[in-house]
Amino acid sequence: MRKLHAYVFIFPSLFLTLIFSIYPLMWALRFMFYDYQGFGTPVFIGLDNFARVMRDAEFWSSVKNTGIYALGKLIVTIPLSLLLAIILNRSLKGRTFLRAVYYLPTIFSASVMSIVFFIIFNSYNGILNQFLIKYDIISQPISWLGADHAMLTTVIIAIWGAVGNYMLLFLAGLQGIPEDLYEAASLDGAGEYEKLRHVTIPLLGPVMQMIIMLAITISLKGYESIMVLTGGGPYGKTEVMYLYLFKLLFPISPESQTLQQIGYGSAVGFTTALMVGGITVIYFFVSRKLNNIY
Amino acid sequence: MVKKWIAAAVSIGLVFSLAACSSQAGPTGNGGAADQTNEVANTDSSQSTAAKTKIKYWTPDRHDAEFMKAKIDAFNKTNTDNIEVEMTVMGDNYPQAVDIAFASKQAPDVLQINDFSTYIQKGYLTPITSYMSEEMKTTFKDSLIQNKNTIGDDIYSLPNTGQTWRLIYNKDLFQQAGIASPPKTLAELVEDAKKLTEAGKSSGAYGFASPFKSGGGFWRAANTIAGASIKTGTEGYNYQTGQFDFGMYKDIAEALRQMDKDGSMLPGVESLDIDPLRAQFAQGKIGMYINHSGEPGVYKDQFPTKVNWAAATVPTLDGTIKGALQVVGGSYIGISADSEHKEAAWKFMEYVYSVDFQKEYYENGYGVSLIPAVLSGGTKPNIPGIEGFLPNKYDAIYPANPSAVTESSLEGMKWSDTFAKYVLTGGNLDAIIQDLNKRYNDSLAKARAAGKTKIEADPGFDATALLGKLAGE
Repeated sequence: MRKLHAYVFIFPSLFLTLIFSIYPLMWALRFMFYDYQGFGTPVFIGLDNFARVMRDAEFWSSVKNTGIYALGKLIVTIPLSLLLAIILNRSLKGRTFLRAVYYLPTIFSASVMSIVFFIIFNSYNGILNQFLIKYDIISQPISWLGADHAMLTTVIIAIWGAVGNYMLLFLAGLQGIPEDLYEAASLDGAGEYEKLRHVTIPLLGPVMQMIIMLAITISLKGYESIMVLTGGGPYGKTEVMYLYLFKLLFPISPESQTLQQIGYGSAVGFTTALMVGGITVIYFFVSRKLNNIY
Repeated sequence: MVKKWIAAAVSIGLVFSLAACSSQAGPTGNGGAADQTNEVANTDSSQSTAAKTKIKYWTPDRHDAEFMKAKIDAFNKTNTDNIEVEMTVMGDNYPQAVDIAFASKQAPDVLQINDFSTYIQKGYLTPITSYMSEEMKTTFKDSLIQNKNTIGDDIYSLPNTGQTWRLIYNKDLFQQAGIASPPKTLAELVEDAKKLTEAGKSSGAYGFASPFKSGGGFWRAANTIAGASIKTGTEGYNYQTGQFDFGMYKDIAEALRQMDKDGSMLPGVESLDIDPLRAQFAQGKIGMYINHSGEPGVYKDQFPTKVNWAAATVPTLDGTIKGALQVVGGSYIGISADSEHKEAAWKFMEYVYSVDFQKEYYENGYGVSLIPAVLSGGTKPNIPGIEGFLPNKYDAIYPANPSAVTESSLEGMKWSDTFAKYVLTGGNLDAIIQDLNKRYNDSLAKARAAGKTKIEADPGFDATALLGKLAGE
């Protein structure tokens, strides 16, 4: 009887998951092996789509860009958010306000904020360039969203948007560390640095492992703000994997008519999912030491 | 035990009521409402004998929505066939909405066509040839184009408006730089951009711009200039040989590259979209750019400007127009193959395509008409700056080409992006063109082998044969 209850309550979410996640997934998995543009009869072509993925220089350039983007974002975001969390975990005046301020960027949609950043960073009338020129720091406008700096600019914006989120997760982790450990450390004569090194970071291990894993997958999948800021351009310099994938399945070409590529897009989707999944598994394996609390 | 049964029954009830709620509030919500009104209409009809034939019309156009609504209201009141048209203005996701509607058998009776070849391949449209009167066939005789509104002898759609492409320039900046008239050749274009920059730089004005954030920056400038300069093709496609030949853009790519090297382009063009470009032009920061007949409307409503601007014919390789100025457009609305009221749908389509209707549409400035009978009537759109965009004898609609279907299986970067990269960073142009030709022709061969396109070589093609069909002068 109890079992029937359980099934009845599981049913609605199971039903929705099947319809909206599993079924579309199976649908896409099937079309990886087809040449299909969304109409007409899909033609079975075996592994041809994957052979094309392997040859596709644009895709591999987007993989490289994703690597740069994710790495650039992670090496700044994780230490910075940990530092902020440690500072804001102290009995500081106005810390609730500060926590809210740092968390605020997480609330806004990436696309809306990216429009604001576009107004700041664009080179012909952007606020940043005008400011720098006015105070004689630069003489010529810098092309922040041009080929040389676009990646850096998108990484900076990504860091800005992510720090508050990870800070909050670290804060939650920090508050799980018992106060008496710090007291004991103080009695042993430990300074602030020793406490951080020997108490905070080891005890934060399992939380940190989760946070870094989340950060890795999110960074590898991020594309919304890049889509608004540069559209992957100029000429593919900031094209990341998921943006490339998005454009295959939902063509956004204002000029020439571009066709949806469901077959090839599914193959690219599968390949990217495999890569993100692979990296996550490797990370889990490498980071398993973090889980051990002595 | 009894309690448990009651609890189980209540949970099952909850699940089903949830499911019921979601099915009502889901995407079929509108459909449900429409069904209800149909039912009401049906009960009415059993009492009063004359049931109205309801026609659903879908369009993505918002700029003319007020006008169309008024005209459709008038049609609903005056038509003697008891037809009632219901117009729905769809959002940006129009192509997807149409696909979903056809897949779920809820397609509108009359719909705007955003990609003719694809709609035909998907089987969305029904031929209108048999409905057209002889008089109407004569009116549209010169406007019909294979793969744009006809397939073989079957007519599926007719043109209404389209985009003519011009060089848009700031007259004040030209005067300031001492340039008497807009450039006629590519060399003059490069030279003038330099002069404009020298004269305007102190006030932040530069010679030339194009939205290079995407390949569209190259597409806009190059396609128009190439079309005017040669008579064999457009969009990289040579109609005579039935192959891609990107050599047609070589001189244009070099000229644009030179302008970039000279520093004649607005700083930051590589992150520019068309709207920010227009905003900069409206502020007098850009000397020249190339775009279409939508611009007068934009500068009237979206970015009101005090700039004294005009539109001129784009420059060509040697100053003479040897080909045809490409006009984007050709198909407009068509009747759904699934429609149950094709006769009534045609009555509405006939109304929209009547010369009087199209004249009024044109005069109100909703678009540049592509119907010769409308253009020759001597009427002009009522919108400042449109004069330079009115079709002349050099403007022509090109036949459809297989570029969309080719790009759908293309390996590597698209031509417009590849050239944009060259313009901004340089490189070995001959090698770039060779590589593009190879990749595009390989992909085209595949598309042809798979039967995805029926467009073949047309050795007799000559763009100049398309001239004069829209307007005589």
